[in-house]
Amino acid sequence: MDNLAKHLLQRLMRRIPASMLKSTLDKWGRLTAEKRKSLDFTQSKWTITQELVALYVTENPNQGMWHTFQLLDPEDDAHSVELMQFKEQFKSHLSELKRNVSVKIKKHTDEAVWIRVAWGDGLSRPNHLKATYVVHYLQTPYVFVNALSSKNKPLLLQALTLSTKHQQIKAANLSGQKLTALRDLLMRQYQQVFPTKYPSPLPEKLRIEKVQAEASASRHRMAGETFGDGMLPALQSAFFQLETKFKDPTNEAMTQRDEPFICSVKFSSSNLLESLRHCASSGIASTPVTPLLSSIPLKGRNYFVITDNVPTA
Amino acid sequence: MEGASMRGVLSHLSLLEVQARSRGSQVPQQPSRVKELKAKVEALTSQRDQLKAELQIHKKLQKLRAPVDKRREDGEDEEMDVDSGSSELFHLMARHSELTDLLHAHNLIGGYDAIITNGGKGMCFSLATEYEGVYLDTYKLELNLKPKVKISRHNIPPFIALNSLAEQSNLQTDVRAFLATVSQHLNAFAGRRQQLKLVKEQHKSVEVMESNLLCSILVLMFTVPKDKTPLLCTLEYTDHTRYLPTRVHLNCQDKLLPDSPNWKKNCSLLKEVPVHRALTAIKKASDIV
Repeated sequence: MDNLAKHLLQRLMRRIPASMLKSTLDKWGRLTAEKRKSLDFTQSKWTITQELVALYVTENPNQGMWHTFQLLDPEDDAHSVELMQFKEQFKSHLSELKRNVSVKIKKHTDEAVWIRVAWGDGLSRPNHLKATYVVHYLQTPYVFVNALSSKNKPLLLQALTLSTKHQQIKAANLSGQKLTALRDLLMRQYQQVFPTKYPSPLPEKLRIEKVQAEASASRHRMAGETFGDGMLPALQSAFFQLETKFKDPTNEAMTQRDEPFICSVKFSSSNLLESLRHCASSGIASTPVTPLLSSIPLKGRNYFVITDNVPTA
Repeated sequence: MEGASMRGVLSHLSLLEVQARSRGSQVPQQPSRVKELKAKVEALTSQRDQLKAELQIHKKLQKLRAPVDKRREDGEDEEMDVDSGSSELFHLMARHSELTDLLHAHNLIGGYDAIITNGGKGMCFSLATEYEGVYLDTYKLELNLKPKVKISRHNIPPFIALNSLAEQSNLQTDVRAFLATVSQHLNAFAGRRQQLKLVKEQHKSVEVMESNLLCSILVLMFTVPKDKTPLLCTLEYTDHTRYLPTRVHLNCQDKLLPDSPNWKKNCSLLKEVPVHRALTAIKKASDIV
């Protein structure tokens, strides 16, 4: 929910008399009966507003900007961390690292653990309207984070690492607006294609047509094997940063520069993986698909820094 | 006296006459009954013929599947009295059923479907999972063999710690052991997940309070018939290569209930038998609703 919408909601909620709040929300008809029941109307309007915003975010996870982190070096008992334990540990670790935070944790039916952290400072109470959202599936190494400031980042990551019984956490270089796309890509919830022994037979054709058909079939096969079949996770962008130093020995002025030249390339699409697959199958991108592009689904990342020494960082 | 007996005889005679007449009207019913029986005979005959034909085909296929040398010895080929077109079909059908059986046997003794990929530099393995005789998901794992054995692509979910399994078994020297471990983990996971699905389907009176993607923990809420007391049962599957729990723990407001002989028995049952079956037995013993 963008700031304007949040602001509007706040003002609206302030205008509606407390006694009419429940009936107004019922009339709005935007919340399911179950969600309406979960709201506690004895709380302050401010609290209810925050809860409405939180409900909105969990119902519309494909907004904002989600960043992925990867937990590394699990301890021996990392695989047996269960929900109650994780909740307690996370809350206690985070409150040890920073006072005046409010944490709400809830598990959804698809086993996703949603964490909402409202940060307060010395002067003000925790503000759930500007909360950080974290989504994590227990026993997987990935954590998805939304709306985290750089000030609070080390604290949150530390609390996550400790409560999941890992020793390290690092940026996974996968970001995007659609949480479901990021999740499906990393959890491999899409139709991957693997080599089969028996390729489908080609219909009998003239020689030229046959050669063309074979080349086309081969491109289609390689494109499918690289990116997958059917509907692909709707990743919307990929970012490549190329860093290279000038190499002509006759031009000293340029070679003496310390900083490398930087070239940034960003691909955007409503569904980047399907676009890239089409590029490969139609021949626009050469096949076999270059590792620069195949790394996106293979390694599950969409941010790459390519320097002179290392082909893909 | 004479009048009464005369009346008796006459009325008897008229009764016999009526009977004789009604029996006469029954005769036309016979043909329709006969028609019915004839139709039944036809149906049964055609069914018998069909089964005979199927039996013939099966016998021929069996003969075709016999080893080639034996066939030549016995000269059974000459007994084939079908035309060349359909005998080719029979040959193909026989070969197909032979290969399917061979593949099935190969899987049963622990082999994997493997394909050489990447111009001979890689292999793609199919790891099938099954539980209680039903095939479940099949996972694929591609390995690059040169210069070093390395995991390339796969569709194994991330809660199966593939990389740590690769580290544990020496991937470079013993690929088979690695594949065996992965297959073990996958099959145990598939089995646990299937048990959870069956618990949800077959035991609606039991509430699933907690589970996870790996299906390594399961918390169930039972209702004890007496007083409708809730009883929380936690099943921990800490050995991920097994589909039975390593630890069963009960929680109840009535502190004595978990220690009762019945429930001690139920706890050990839950450790020995898949959970959906154990629950059926516990329900039967009326220990839970």
